[in-house]
Amino acid sequence: MAILETRNLTYTYPFAENPAIKDINLTIEKGEFVIITGPSGCGKTTLCRCFNGLIPHFYGGNLEGDVIVAGLNTREHPIYELAKHVGLVFQNPENQLFALTVEKDVAFGLENLGLPREEIHRRVDWALRVTGIYDLKDRAPFELSGGQQQRVAIASVLAMQPEIIVLDEPTSFLDPLSAKSILESIYQLNRELGITVILVEHRLDLAVRYANRVIIMDQGRIILDNSPREVFLDARVKLIGVGLPKVVRLYLLLREDNVDLGRTPLSPEELSDLIVGVLKSDKS
Amino acid sequence: MSVFEGLRFRNISSPIHRIDPRAKFIYVCILFAIAVLFSQLIPLLILFFSQIPLVIMAKVKREWLRLMRGTMFFAALIFITNMISLYFYGGYPSLLSIIERSVAMTLRFIILVESFSIFFATTSPDMLSLSLEQMGVPYEFCFAFITAIRFVPVLAEEAQSIMDAQKARGLELERGNFIKRIRNYIPILIPLIVSAIRRSMELAEAMESRAWGASKKRTNLYTLKMGVKDYLFISISIIILVLSLYVCFFVYIPSLAELIRFG
Ligand SMILES: Nc1ncnc2c1ncn2[C@@H]1O[C@H](COP(=O)(O)OP(=O)(O)OP(=O)(O)O)[C@@H](O)[C@H]1O
Ligand SMILES: [Mg+2]
Repeated sequence: MAILETRNLTYTYPFAENPAIKDINLTIEKGEFVIITGPSGCGKTTLCRCFNGLIPHFYGGNLEGDVIVAGLNTREHPIYELAKHVGLVFQNPENQLFALTVEKDVAFGLENLGLPREEIHRRVDWALRVTGIYDLKDRAPFELSGGQQQRVAIASVLAMQPEIIVLDEPTSFLDPLSAKSILESIYQLNRELGITVILVEHRLDLAVRYANRVIIMDQGRIILDNSPREVFLDARVKLIGVGLPKVVRLYLLLREDNVDLGRTPLSPEELSDLIVGVLKSDKS
Repeated sequence: MSVFEGLRFRNISSPIHRIDPRAKFIYVCILFAIAVLFSQLIPLLILFFSQIPLVIMAKVKREWLRLMRGTMFFAALIFITNMISLYFYGGYPSLLSIIERSVAMTLRFIILVESFSIFFATTSPDMLSLSLEQMGVPYEFCFAFITAIRFVPVLAEEAQSIMDAQKARGLELERGNFIKRIRNYIPILIPLIVSAIRRSMELAEAMESRAWGASKKRTNLYTLKMGVKDYLFISISIIILVLSLYVCFFVYIPSLAELIRFG
């Protein structure tokens, strides 16, 4: 059964003339790792806001169509109820942490839900361990590095044990190394806990190897929706202006020169393996 | 800036840090009351110096010294205004007693600041908000308080970087007369306000996404409980208050000048 479904979703911000997203039909199954990408202003963030009810409950505006999350229509359920099912991690880690210790921050959502104290302690400790920041428990969030802050943000939605985690460019404030380690942790959540991940990301080089599906948007619409190996082979990707992963670009260049690697590589390691394979078969 | 430094919480542990904020608050209030009770120099001096062991126990000596230095300007101001007004309207017999009286008034002010600073330097804002909550202040207010404290350094840093950016583009802050100088700050204030608004929007979004307002009965991860040491602390404070009241009404307090003359 689909864990998230949108039907003919069109949304216009208050006072805006044109819809920010148009006619989005999307079905995401439990346990998927989906990357959403596309040029700036194409409506990725807007779509994320629809997933947990920030649109329409927080933003107002005009919503047409339906979003069904874990069986709940976002129109009919308040954000705090949807928050138990969908965790949203934002771009700027600084503006989503508000407590004075990491522990209090991770506990924030659970406190709001009014859970018993022992349960909160248990879940907070668990979330801190899973994200690898247990040692930072008593530190102040604003003293931490960007990567650590983003981990706190992830832990704080994780503590609410949602089925879906939506991350809106979680690495754009981070250096490549922290970005890589954050993405690895997210992948781990997906693989080991079975959490459905929806990741908005520009750094396809680092992220695409973890995804089983890539959605490319442009001007408020979904243009392509396919497996990562297929999606970049479409000529439209280049026209939209999405930065292809370097390994894919190299693959395409080689293909133009009639060197067929057999399949689209998604990481440098895979690419080198494929090249070695081709070289070997050439010799024999 | 140095004045605020003294009021800033330092995350260290000491016997004073571990006392319940409510008990500490009672202590600060009593200290206030005593400081207002006396206008003679000798009891105020005793009061002032009796705080110093507390400062040392709380390991906030450096902050305290900095705060004392920070208050010097205001202290001097108070001293001078007292001197002038007492000289013209006080009807005091000698210059010496005018000086003594002015020093006493200044010291009173310093004691008020001192006790405040001990309170804030040894009470984490989290604890403070928790005790407010437990005294029945709505959570929304406590949250706003915590958020304000949390974002003051962030905004200060942002103001600095905007200032640097505008200076790099040729803005001269220290130029022209008073009105012109105030006008110079507009290119700094506007980006700062815009960014603060955007920040608060993002913050609100993040709060909503984490089930803000889900339950009327919000849990608190920690609760404050008064222990033996807290009650002891309050008792000692009350004893000191009673003692001071007694001294104030039934004991003759000589002035320093008299002591020197007859001693
Ligand atoms: N709060 C808002 N109010 C009105 N219009 C908005 C708001 N947020 C975004 N928009 C508009 O909606 C459109 C889509 O914006 P959105 O932020 O969803 O794009 P995005 O794909 O996330 O871009 P980016 O990659 O820059 O984050 C843009 O035209 C933008 O101007
Ligand atoms: Mg965005």
